[in-house]
Amino acid sequence: MHSLIQLSIAVLLLPLLSFVILIFFNKRLPRRGDFVGVGILGTTFALSFYIFWSVVVQAYDPAFRVAWDFTWIDFGNVPGVGPLEIRMGIVIDNLTAIMLAMVTLISFLVHLYSTGYMSGDPRYGRFFAFLGIFTFSMLGIVLADNLFAIYIFWELVGLSSYLLIGFYFEKDSAADAQKKAFLANRVGDIGMWLGILILYSQFHTFSYQEIFANLAAGKFGLGEAWLTAAGILLFMGCVGKSAQFPLHVWLPDAMEGPTPVSALIHAATMVAAGVYFVARIFVLLTADALHVIAFIGAVTAFMAATIAITQHDIKRVLAYSTVSQLGYMVLGLGVGAYSAALFHLVTHAFFKACLFLGSGAIIHAMHHEQDMRWMGGLRKPMPWTFATFTLATLALAGLPLTSGFMSKDAILAGAIGFAAAEGGGIYWIIPFLGFFSAMLTAFYMGRQIWLVFFGESRTHLKPADPHHHGHDAHGSHGHDDHHAGESHGVHEVAWNMRAPLVILAALSVFAVYSPDPLDGAKGWFLKMVQTPATVVGSPGNTAGHESSPLALHEGRLLAEAVPPAQHKAESDAHSEGVASEAASGVHAEAAGAAAHGEAHGHEFSDPRQAAIAHEAHAAHWPAIMISSVMVVLGISLAFVVYVFRIIDPEKTARSIRPLYLYSFNKWYWDEIYDATFIKGSVLISKILSWFDANIVDGIVNGVGAMTRRVGFATGGFDKYVVDGAVNFTAFLVNTSGGVLRKLQTGKVQTYVVLLLLAVIGYFIYYFTQLIY
Amino acid sequence: MELLTNIGLNHYLTISALLFGFGLFAVMTRRNAIVILMGVELILNAANINFLAFSKYSGGMEGVMFSLFIIVLAAAEAAIALAIVINIYKIFRSVDVSSIDTMKE
Repeated sequence: MHSLIQLSIAVLLLPLLSFVILIFFNKRLPRRGDFVGVGILGTTFALSFYIFWSVVVQAYDPAFRVAWDFTWIDFGNVPGVGPLEIRMGIVIDNLTAIMLAMVTLISFLVHLYSTGYMSGDPRYGRFFAFLGIFTFSMLGIVLADNLFAIYIFWELVGLSSYLLIGFYFEKDSAADAQKKAFLANRVGDIGMWLGILILYSQFHTFSYQEIFANLAAGKFGLGEAWLTAAGILLFMGCVGKSAQFPLHVWLPDAMEGPTPVSALIHAATMVAAGVYFVARIFVLLTADALHVIAFIGAVTAFMAATIAITQHDIKRVLAYSTVSQLGYMVLGLGVGAYSAALFHLVTHAFFKACLFLGSGAIIHAMHHEQDMRWMGGLRKPMPWTFATFTLATLALAGLPLTSGFMSKDAILAGAIGFAAAEGGGIYWIIPFLGFFSAMLTAFYMGRQIWLVFFGESRTHLKPADPHHHGHDAHGSHGHDDHHAGESHGVHEVAWNMRAPLVILAALSVFAVYSPDPLDGAKGWFLKMVQTPATVVGSPGNTAGHESSPLALHEGRLLAEAVPPAQHKAESDAHSEGVASEAASGVHAEAAGAAAHGEAHGHEFSDPRQAAIAHEAHAAHWPAIMISSVMVVLGISLAFVVYVFRIIDPEKTARSIRPLYLYSFNKWYWDEIYDATFIKGSVLISKILSWFDANIVDGIVNGVGAMTRRVGFATGGFDKYVVDGAVNFTAFLVNTSGGVLRKLQTGKVQTYVVLLLLAVIGYFIYYFTQLIY
Repeated sequence: MELLTNIGLNHYLTISALLFGFGLFAVMTRRNAIVILMGVELILNAANINFLAFSKYSGGMEGVMFSLFIIVLAAAEAAIALAIVINIYKIFRSVDVSSIDTMKE
């Protein structure tokens, strides 16, 4: 076993150990055992970072891959199925290593942050236990090498998110939110499981590598449509977990969980799982499936952004922003900008975690006030939070010099390239929605920054709420509550909540990822995580290539064929890069045509990917230009509305009231679901209930009544015939007994007389016999 | 007068039958248990006469043996029957057989 594999097993199991220790012993440990959670996660992060360092920095090989697997369950030869064994294993490549470091770092920081945020909570220890199992589940998804394992950990993530979202289960809203999250995820998971089964039915394996190898060898016997269906079904899992339209409704409600949970779920773990999963199965997605994914992502990004601009709750704005950014990532995967999407996944994880933890700090300091309308002027009392929050906001909005700029730009460039390569038309909607959402993102984040940190405190404007009952126990008591000025009682949070903010904000700076703030492709991430070649469709291409089948099976065809050209293009002059890329595209196309003419689905194979990559590269600068303009436009609009107050937001809202309400009520998705699925379910339940009450119960009652009748009949027979016979016998005996007992007088002399008569009778009989 | 002078078997049998009839009459009509026992003795002795008469006119000794046994048996029977009567008297304070009918029904 490779030493990295051993380390990764330790990384996987340590958070589980933390969970086990804390769930059983948290009440017996000092400080409810929070140091166990923080310590174990710190260790886990250190190990993960070592793996990351070994793989990404030291090996520095895009094709780096270590795998290990073992037979988990061997059912032997199952009748009707054949040999059935389920293997489990771990695969470590660049993506895994990066995800490991990201997940454990954010989880560790969230643990550390929670020691401050959650202190005084009655279930303080259990909270850390839940964080532990959540981290464990996510690491399982990251490390798994097969669909079965990822499904198991997928469900574990669903469970742990359920536990964490409903952590304040005394509140009805939290209990509802956890149910909603669980059910919405279930809808997606059903699709995902069906997708897994489609693949299993063909290949009898769950392993990614084997499935890809079989697909590349053209062994998928059901045809193109089924493969597309499998891809879309698998993508449904992502739709649920990554809160894509139309299953996005759970994520904003999941804000009922404690804020560190929001940071963990909505930045690094749960929602990232969906995108990560689509990335893992990226190579088996057909072009049609990718189109669906791209459109869903674009719609999600746009829809969530339009909702975010009108929300009042600080966490809800961030929640919709998360949905929107996840839409970007899915859009990126859909348009084939695989590495850009994953780049955005990582950069987003850091700055969104920073934003959530920052909002947590604000909520903490404001005594659990979440409504932005009653905030304001917080930059003076909370300078650290202000600085980090602003930096992360800039990254989210996608201003240059931030990580978000590079990753979002890469996705948008990919979207333009996609639209161009697909021949324009309706496909231009995708980049259009992407750019428009970028502007909206800048606008609503500018609005949020301004409402929260600038202006005067509006705490006193809040209408009195008789039900308000903040968890003030861990507020600002003991400190100077009479802080001068507008923000009464608000002050900066302690170091254990500040440090994560600073670290995460630092990771939102461009320099971490790339030396060139305008071009992420020069950075290590996009060099190490490269778009793999698709394995679906064209056996012609695989045959035409010089690369070994093994390389292809590992899904690295493009990594070997095109990326060298990309590297060259990146380092050389731009035009030269385009030329060499185009050359490789032509080469692939020629190879595809040369081999099997009858091979099905040529257009989905390497030429298409190559064309998209080529167009995306060409779209790099236009994308930067347009997105920068959009972002500046958005921020300017926020300034115009909220800073200079040239446009009064209330008036505008009133003048376009239907639109405002449409956005404010989240496009009425909850209402639509309520009217369709929920009402529909209730209706179906009522129909079934009627069926139950009338048909099923009728049958049961009919059978019952019939049994009763039969019972009466046999009862009558019993009573009159059988009992009659018995009683008649008894009657006979009784009567004859009554007669005969008269003979028994008890008087000896009677008996003597009878004896005499008998003897006389005998003699008479005897003599009559003699005579005759 | 031959009937009176020429004593034969019929005389014995007639005496025996008369004795039996008296005995039976006493057993069937008397209420006193002791009188009934006396009737039984008469019946037994009627049987004895029968046995001896047949023994005399058939020439064998079996009838004599039987009657000897019956005499012994009658003695034993009288002893046991009197003991029973005494016990009945102890319980019922009476030797009237018509009043001793607890076996009835």
